Amino acid sequence: MQSSLTHVRLAGIAVTIGSVVRDFQAEGLAAGQDPAQLARLAKAVGLRERRVAAPDVTALDLCADAAARLLDEAAVDASSLDAVIFVTQTPDHPQPNNASLLHCRLGLSKAAAAYDLSLGCSGWVYGLHQAAMLCGAGAARVLVCAGDTLSRLVDPNDPATAPLFGDAGAAMLVEKTGEATSMHFVFGTDGTGASAIIVPAGGARQPEGAGPSTCLSMDGAAVYEFVLREAPPAVAGVLKLAGWTPEVTDHLVLHQANRFVVSSVARKCGFPEAKVPMNLVEQFGNQSSASIPAAMAHACAEALQGSRRRLVVCGFGVGFSWGAAALEAGPMVVAPTLAFPR
Amino acid sequence: MTPEQKLDALRADVDVLAAATPETVLGSLPNWDSLAILLVVSHFEHGHQQTITGAQVRACRTVADLLALLPHKP
Repeated sequence: MQSSLTHVRLAGIAVTIGSVVRDFQAEGLAAGQDPAQLARLAKAVGLRERRVAAPDVTALDLCADAAARLLDEAAVDASSLDAVIFVTQTPDHPQPNNASLLHCRLGLSKAAAAYDLSLGCSGWVYGLHQAAMLCGAGAARVLVCAGDTLSRLVDPNDPATAPLFGDAGAAMLVEKTGEATSMHFVFGTDGTGASAIIVPAGGARQPEGAGPSTCLSMDGAAVYEFVLREAPPAVAGVLKLAGWTPEVTDHLVLHQANRFVVSSVARKCGFPEAKVPMNLVEQFGNQSSASIPAAMAHACAEALQGSRRRLVVCGFGVGFSWGAAALEAGPMVVAPTLAFPR
Repeated sequence: MTPEQKLDALRADVDVLAAATPETVLGSLPNWDSLAILLVVSHFEHGHQQTITGAQVRACRTVADLLALLPHKP
């Protein structure tokens, strides 16, 4: 589907990362993997280190920290929020949802709506769209949080998935504005790819599980084919809706799956690498739905704090699900990226 | 591109094929793995603007079979 919304703006972002550093080479050597193969993977895919959450820290904790810092930097009272949306696939509990727990932690008004979106790497774009729609329907200000602790879902003995994921939580503020600014969206889903990224056990279909069935399994080749097939048309779609070209777009911010994927998509979209943040994953790992704001905060913070920029973002992953957006953003609050606990 | 140029380009992009000949049996290469298959798919995408699948690559026995996936242009 396509969607265009006006009189709404992205007012700020903040990202909190896990506090534990995991070194790719050291982990692989400790697991008895071949050093030459590790070097090959590091070079081709862009794996160096990642940041994961400390043992007692969840996505809710990471996002709550990011949200509190964002509200503080933006001088926004939590009671002024009309809604909080929480994008995650690693909630604290099956019930209640993370949004309600965050509502309590931040002290939001009882008049505020609070709900979760169960989405992975495409989720931040969906969250932005949901918030923009709420602003178009009467809300003045919406908080969106997006985060996961996927490092805990992988089998530590699976060399194909274990070294990929980092943990992070992001927060963004979306506000109604009198300016005639626009956000353009393209979304899509291919449910035939659902089994390509899956945690089989732990839900209602298979409540009990052991070993690999409780871990994230991923068909890397199928995912790569999906991303190259669907992400470039989605980016082209939002460019068309916005009336932009790669030449007049300041930044293309892609979900930071790994350097290989980001580089491939950027090339196919016709964007020069200078406009595409892509070294983030080497430092932090694949941060699921938090990776797009993390890349913005890491690579575009100064530009977004000081000026109006044309941004195209695109997320893609589990589902298969994808979403792209074109928006003008800035000047806006970009809080420094910090680890939690500090 | 001549067949030789196609082979050279493939060798440059896919590390495990750096010393390959058309007769090289893919399954005999020690690092012929999922990463190598991704690199081949990427090579076709960016080097030849041709979308192929991992399944097509896995079905190839030799390097010559890989190169045969490219369309023959006069």
